[in-house]
Amino acid sequence: MTAQAAELVGGTDTLVVRRAPLGRVLRSELRMVLRRPRTLVGLGLLGLVPVVMGIGIAIATASGETGEGDAMAALVMGNGMLLPIFALSVAVVMLLPLTGAMLAADALAGESSHGTLRGMLMAPVGRGRLLAVKAFGVASVTLLAVVLMAVTGMITGVLLLGGDGMLTASGTSLPFGEALGRVAITVVYVALQVWALAAVALAVSAFTDHPLIVVVVTLGLVIVSGVLSAIPALDWIDPVLVTTSWEAVGEIVRDPISWSPLIDGALRAACYMLIGGSIAYSRMLTRDG
Amino acid sequence: MDRKRTALTVAAAGTAAGVVGLILIASPAGANEAPPTLPPVSAEALVQSVIDAKTPALAGAVELRNNIGLPIPGLPQGSSDDELARVYADGQGRGRIALRQGGGERTFVQDGTTTWLWNSSDKSVTKFTSEAKDHSEEKLADPATVARDLVELIKKDSTVTVDGTARVADRAAYQLVLTPKPTERTLLREIRIAIDSETRVPLRLEVLANGQSDPALRIGFTEFSTGAQDPALFTFTPPAGAKVTEGKQEKSSEDKGELLKSADLKVVGEGWDVVATGKVPAALLSAQIPQSGERGGPVDATSILKKLGKEVSGSFGTGYVISTKVGTALVTTDGRVAVGAVPQQVLIDALGQK
Repeated sequence: MTAQAAELVGGTDTLVVRRAPLGRVLRSELRMVLRRPRTLVGLGLLGLVPVVMGIGIAIATASGETGEGDAMAALVMGNGMLLPIFALSVAVVMLLPLTGAMLAADALAGESSHGTLRGMLMAPVGRGRLLAVKAFGVASVTLLAVVLMAVTGMITGVLLLGGDGMLTASGTSLPFGEALGRVAITVVYVALQVWALAAVALAVSAFTDHPLIVVVVTLGLVIVSGVLSAIPALDWIDPVLVTTSWEAVGEIVRDPISWSPLIDGALRAACYMLIGGSIAYSRMLTRDG
Repeated sequence: MDRKRTALTVAAAGTAAGVVGLILIASPAGANEAPPTLPPVSAEALVQSVIDAKTPALAGAVELRNNIGLPIPGLPQGSSDDELARVYADGQGRGRIALRQGGGERTFVQDGTTTWLWNSSDKSVTKFTSEAKDHSEEKLADPATVARDLVELIKKDSTVTVDGTARVADRAAYQLVLTPKPTERTLLREIRIAIDSETRVPLRLEVLANGQSDPALRIGFTEFSTGAQDPALFTFTPPAGAKVTEGKQEKSSEDKGELLKSADLKVVGEGWDVVATGKVPAALLSAQIPQSGERGGPVDATSILKKLGKEVSGSFGTGYVISTKVGTALVTTDGRVAVGAVPQQVLIDALGQK
């Protein structure tokens, strides 16, 4: 617990607060998040998603089906290095936001419902520091989930679907090194997008004692954003919705990459993180034990 | 109390900064900038310089906004500012156009001797040798060619003026405006073409219909930069596992010729109120078209026409009129068709002229 990490050294006249080294606090937070069974189950299931997709696509290829429908799915056949990008582009729509929301819900609302947050708030630990440690826990486990998906996706793709490089949507073939770079860009971009949503979830999490509410509100935000972006008359609202950035994942498989939608998406994520983070911080400041 | 105030300040400042950031991302660059000051130029000189200009080495992104009221097959519908294509040229006749199709892409590469056509949805490559280039597709995607052809064609029936300047894709541009002469019977109010002041490449084409403030159709660059391009962009090697077919232009043009003969295509009128008339085989009107949705069986073409259009009758017989903001189409029950950027009456006149 972070609260225990703060050490008090009392003098007769002055009270000197010596902080625990940040590295140790972050490590203990991470250990705590990763020890929860639901986190491990969630990570395991996410890691399986690309494997299941790869098996499905391999069966479809073997039975000679042409991948009608999703344009990227058609391209994945016989093009294994594309599988992690395809899997992440699918997961970013629902599975990863769900994971981010769950982690953020556990971080503050979950602690609060167990009564453990009270102890931390009472302890002489900066509230900002407490929030930062919690946010770090959420962010690094989210990143871990994304990296895990990319790795299982690459292994499944290369083993089942084959291909030593990557065939882009533009019809060019990239060597293995560059293909790896594209996967890395996808990991960074997708992690940023999930962080944006997790920051909003963390803000909700700071307000409530019920983790379920956090998950519901966050998924509600995703669904409402999706509905709003589907209404043609509300096209003008599109550029501010979280979901808009998710479509840009497809840009990564084009050659040459057009960076502007990706940069816009990353900036949009940063704005959401700023909003979510500042609201969460202000709530943490005013929240009493 | 103090802590509460800090908390409120942080929340307000952070949220405000975030919202402002989101709005900044949403608003296109240069939207509220004053139009640039450029030396005055006469309309004729401007048109001439456009025709004389050679396409420089450039890279750009093209966007299409279709507000016509009917979907154009193969092109994005609606007013969303979806990128349509990315265009690259090396200034010496080689070029690359990457046309978006959902998550996939169709790529045209002209490497000097061969035109390659890549379709990512079925991983197919079509190869055309020099003479047999697929011009129609290239013209469709390249606003430069579209505008240039239009200027030449329309000049005799319209007033051509230079109406100030504009900033398009962050470049200073002249606005060339083509207005139909008062005698023209058309639904169109004007066509505006933004021409880059430096390279004289048309940057944007807007079609405005009568009684509308927003363009019904807009195609133009959202990003535009000149300068040498990576030569690798202008080569294409068919990837392993792709189907490569030789494009056979001659055969398809023969097919087209026969189709044209049976269609009995004619052009009535000239200028803005030009009307194309023709015939569709009666079999097509009663053809069973499988519905794209999962519900319902196939429908015949006539019932689709009934749904889309309005039934009219007159000296020409009975038919269905499909009207959009920029054009009208009339299909009669006996298979005659007239299409033009004109009101319904002009179409009826054109059918009567036969």
